[in-house]
Amino acid sequence: MLYEDMPDEWKEWLDLTPIQRFRESEKLFAQYLAMGGSLDPDPDPTSPFYDEDEWRPGAAYGRAGLRVLRRGAS
Amino acid sequence: MFYGAAQVSKDIDLVLFPDSTNYKNLETALQSLGAKRIAVPPFSPAVLERGHAVHFRCSAPGVEHLRVDVMSKLRDLPDFAALWDRRTVIADEAGEEFHLLSIPDLVAAKKTQRMKDWPIIELLVAIHYRENADRPRPPWIDFWLADARTPELLEKLVQRFPDQARKLSSGRPLLSMAGSGNFEAVREALDAEVRAEQAKDRAYWAPLKAELEAFRHDERRNP
Repeated sequence: MLYEDMPDEWKEWLDLTPIQRFRESEKLFAQYLAMGGSLDPDPDPTSPFYDEDEWRPGAAYGRAGLRVLRRGAS
Repeated sequence: MFYGAAQVSKDIDLVLFPDSTNYKNLETALQSLGAKRIAVPPFSPAVLERGHAVHFRCSAPGVEHLRVDVMSKLRDLPDFAALWDRRTVIADEAGEEFHLLSIPDLVAAKKTQRMKDWPIIELLVAIHYRENADRPRPPWIDFWLADARTPELLEKLVQRFPDQARKLSSGRPLLSMAGSGNFEAVREALDAEVRAEQAKDRAYWAPLKAELEAFRHDERRNP
């Protein structure tokens, strides 16, 4: 994809400096955690590190992540 | 994230120079984060040197559940000293420094069997080109031609740098067709590149996965 073809939101993100991106990511993460989001990585069966027993959601390390409460019409 | 191709992986990957002092320093840092190893393999310089990654989960306030993955050797990448020489350093307003794999090295590290890594490669190259297109350096031109992953960007690059494209086409045959306007054929060739690279990654990991299984077996017998 060329920059010119990217959605405006992506362009705005890319126009930030690296440190500005880092700061914005910190804000997003704080918000994500405040909403109950979990830092548990999503299971990725295509990863060589994936082990079903160790990464099962809701197991020893797990806690509730975000869940969909409402989906938009589109 | 710093480079613009954000991926919500919710973990931090550290590449460690595996000497004993550095290893001890990292152990101390991990302790301050309340980090516990959560999976095989065990944490030792020898294990890292074999190409494994060691996984931790933090428990200190503010970083609860954060995953930290430590490695010192990456498939098809040079040793730590070369990666360190080529690193990118970004500093914040307070002078805190972040030492990152260079974008070409990060792209090489992301050529894995995991599907989610490939769109990130596409973005990293596109962003690097966009940020440096006005002052192209020879190694960057080679990087763009070797790693661009969309027909549109490839066409632009081949038309702009025809000599370098011809020179590199023996190593990347799709460069020969990238300027033809036949985007469908280029897409098919790009897909074939992904499949070939995924096969290489699976072959690299096959013996290491067998070792991981042996580590698991050992830990279950001797918890």
